[in-house]
Amino acid sequence: MLNSIKPKKSTILLYLLVPVAMFVFTVFVPLVTAFVYSFFEWKGGPVKTFTGLTNYVTLFHDSTFWEAFGHNIYLVVACIIGQIGIAFILVMMINSKLVKLKGMHRTFGFFPSTISAVCIGLIWNMIYHNQYGVLNWFLKSIGRDDLCKVWLNEPKLVMMLVSIPLIWQFIGYYMIIMLSAISSIDTEVFESAEIDGANGVQRAIYITLPLIKNTMLVCITLCIAGNMKAFDNIFVMTKGGPGTASMVMAMYGYQVSFNQSNMGYGSCISVGIFVLSLIVIGGSQALIKYITREKEA
Amino acid sequence: MKEKKMTHPVQKGVLSVLMNGILILFSLSCIFPIIWMIYSSLKEKRAFNANIIGLPKEPTLINYIRILSNSDYHLGESMWNSVRTTGLSIILIVLFSFIVGYILARVSFKGNRLLYMMFLMGMLIPIHSLLVPIYVVFKNCNMSNQWFTLLFPYVSFGLPMGIFLMEGYVKGIPVSLEEAAAIDGSSFSHTLWHIILPICKPILITIAIIQVFSCWNEFSFALVLIKDVHLQTVPLALTQFKGQFASDYPKQMAAMLITMSPIVVLYFAFSKQIIKGMVAGAVKG
Repeated sequence: MLNSIKPKKSTILLYLLVPVAMFVFTVFVPLVTAFVYSFFEWKGGPVKTFTGLTNYVTLFHDSTFWEAFGHNIYLVVACIIGQIGIAFILVMMINSKLVKLKGMHRTFGFFPSTISAVCIGLIWNMIYHNQYGVLNWFLKSIGRDDLCKVWLNEPKLVMMLVSIPLIWQFIGYYMIIMLSAISSIDTEVFESAEIDGANGVQRAIYITLPLIKNTMLVCITLCIAGNMKAFDNIFVMTKGGPGTASMVMAMYGYQVSFNQSNMGYGSCISVGIFVLSLIVIGGSQALIKYITREKEA
Repeated sequence: MKEKKMTHPVQKGVLSVLMNGILILFSLSCIFPIIWMIYSSLKEKRAFNANIIGLPKEPTLINYIRILSNSDYHLGESMWNSVRTTGLSIILIVLFSFIVGYILARVSFKGNRLLYMMFLMGMLIPIHSLLVPIYVVFKNCNMSNQWFTLLFPYVSFGLPMGIFLMEGYVKGIPVSLEEAAAIDGSSFSHTLWHIILPICKPILITIAIIQVFSCWNEFSFALVLIKDVHLQTVPLALTQFKGQFASDYPKQMAAMLITMSPIVVLYFAFSKQIIKGMVAGAVKG
């Protein structure tokens, strides 16, 4: 800490005032507001009636909300396996001496994660389109017309179909994070392992993975946090439909609040999202810590 | 033993072809959609519907001309809104991160750690749960639907990571530097702007890079807070095009390419620095 110059308190206060006020106003004021309104029945008009815990009881029995929560978890699991798993395999390949064009793979692979989720959703809408989509065009050109569908109208497939763009978009992102972690490992480690006769797969599992463990945990955390807030893709691609087959929590909160203008219950859902997300993120952190600790012991 | 050595080069060859093949396929899949969009946007609707994957036989810019010349689409306006919102947000995020990050790292006062924890919490709070409440608060304060509305969420959500990165960076600067400046009679503000700012340039650029993409691409808060079509940002405008040109894909693609162009150009011009910056942000944040 700085002792030689003691800036005046008023100077510090002046510097901090605007950013802190802005931050509190946009983050903490809404949080408190949501908490307060979650105890009211309020249809967006001037009338607000205090109903105590009624909204929370409704939320607890609201099967759509829990279905949406389940879909968030589905996305988290699908993306951890899909994004981080595939990214790790690709990273292992890129690090091999046999592979050329490494720079190109980095640049192209990272590219989709810089595009907005709205664009990604629209692009994949086009790919899935029943008449003009690339997917059906491909099926037709290999002579499997029978498999063509109005893809996003299939309740059983829709979650898988919306998670594919999500996975695809961020593989490159995790790939780059892992590559930068690996590049900081001493190459002598790999060389001596190779001399000892470890093959590529063995090196990946027994040497690289433990050495980049912390980075992998960061990736998993990012993945969980990112998918608990899934909204943009879903909004553009399916709006939660067909029915509620691809509903996620943020989408449900949005629909209840703005389409049904049930702001009281919408606030309650917001509090629910807040609590559940914290539990999932915190719980997974604790779980990861527990698992890794046991391995070390 | 001898046999193994004999087959080794062949195995290696197969493996090399396989791995290069998979990676090239992956890279192509990442870049294919945009290439498909670029050449398809040069087709007329009829030509596209007849053959969705083929190259255009008579390339035309008609889709671009129609989109840009029709003022009902507000595309130019939304581009300007996005540029303004993103630009101002970045300036504020960088400025505030610099000031707050520096003060939190170097000045001891009551509540320093409390303030630090508060901003840190901003990174942990699931911001999407603020979607509905932020609408309520902004509506009550008559602050939704203004040109400056989106600056509030974008700056506030960008600040925690910026402050965090900045604070860490400042801690790596030797204090003796500022002590020497103080002995030479430099005031706190003078030291801040003339000595610390130039040193912190790299980290401030990193912060700016990370935020450019998230501000330009942000959708959900714009959706909730902006209802006026004249204030729409680019992602909002695009979702409207989807309804308007439901069956006119080449036009939709042209609109998307126009809105993506600044980001795409920026990315391919500075991809190395951008990738480095984003990784730094993700890992340290």
